Amino acid sequence: MKAYIFLLATCMVAGSCQKHRAEPQTVDRERMADSTELVLHISRQHRLYTAECMVHKVVTHRDIIRWEGEIMGYKFGHDVPMGSRKIAIPIDVTLKVYIDFRDFGPERVKRQGEQLFIVLPEPRFVVTASRVDHKGMRRYTDPIRKEYTDEEMTRLTQKGVQDILRQAPQTGILETARSGAEAVLQPMLTQLGYDKEKIHIAFDNRVLRMPVEQFYDNEGSVVQLKP
Amino acid sequence: MKKILSILRLTLAIGCIGLLVWGFGVLRCCIRKSGNLARPLLSGNITTKNIHGPSPTQIRSIERIGEWEFLSIEDEEMVDTVRQRLMLPDQYLVRIYKGTLRLGIDLSRATPDWVQMRGDTVCVTLPPIKLLNKEFIDEARTETFHETGSWDAGAREAMYRKAHRMMMLRGLSESNLKQAREVGRQRMSDVFRALGFPHVKVE
Repeated sequence: MKAYIFLLATCMVAGSCQKHRAEPQTVDRERMADSTELVLHISRQHRLYTAECMVHKVVTHRDIIRWEGEIMGYKFGHDVPMGSRKIAIPIDVTLKVYIDFRDFGPERVKRQGEQLFIVLPEPRFVVTASRVDHKGMRRYTDPIRKEYTDEEMTRLTQKGVQDILRQAPQTGILETARSGAEAVLQPMLTQLGYDKEKIHIAFDNRVLRMPVEQFYDNEGSVVQLKP
Repeated sequence: MKKILSILRLTLAIGCIGLLVWGFGVLRCCIRKSGNLARPLLSGNITTKNIHGPSPTQIRSIERIGEWEFLSIEDEEMVDTVRQRLMLPDQYLVRIYKGTLRLGIDLSRATPDWVQMRGDTVCVTLPPIKLLNKEFIDEARTETFHETGSWDAGAREAMYRKAHRMMMLRGLSESNLKQAREVGRQRMSDVFRALGFPHVKVE
């Protein structure tokens, strides 16, 4: 009898100890859940956006199951019937070009008599939004194939956005940004007493000769450009 | 005799259907598991050929804008949806949306005399601080945290709208708008000082 009582007491003590040990783990899990729910990062900026470009693209992808092998030295390869799937994802991307005025100081402004020369920092572009037209998306899956997963669709969308980014310099958005900057700064300086003809705004032309990765804002953009 | 024949035909038909279903299942299982068929039997393998179709990029519009950004708020929101099914396990889709809200001024909304010279002082009247990009979510960077079952366009649209709403609520707070205005005042003063005007008043 005594042995039973001792065993019961030991179990109770062990159980209570386990409960105490389990508590902090539960709290940790709750904290982790909180941190995944909200990540907010606020940063001070000083950017003048001077051009905006809306781009539309339909990303297409198809994969086929192929049966390849060898029978008695004879090589064969056939597409498996009913083994393909296709997807077309329409996406809309918003690109903006900005001039970062954090790099703008008195050294970029020169006066020669009544003439005013301003050299603006080189423009950079960012993707400010990308959106998938889910209702316009089309998927065709053969019976033996698994449907495209959400992860696969996201990967294809990313590829589409990266294609858009690589083609961005050919869209003429940088030229529009330059004229946009003049359209913002000239009236402002005219109000301050400068003659319109005597205001000269220049840009660093190196940017046009640089690869796209160098003047694309990978940090400020919501989309990352992967090499 | 006729009865026996019909029974035989039925058995044969059922057998054929069964064989087809079994074959289908085996093939599907092979593709899903490793992409390999039983080597000794067929000495072959199953591969997946990916074809990315060349699709054109269409430029909808290019326009000149004049927006000054003073504060950016990067946000991530986790949104989930559940489909409850009778006698079957529930299906889930959990996605993490990412976006950047940009607060600043739109110079197209400024009055013509928003910059004025009064004596030796530049007086700047800033237009109200607003959200510069109504579309700020980047769906291309959305992470799929958990997915079971297949989900239609309606479910994804609803999740997008929910994430958009949540980000607006968190990002467009009174304190953030106030901070953007303060940063804007300071930044605009810096610009005019750099242009050679030491006395600047920003309202």
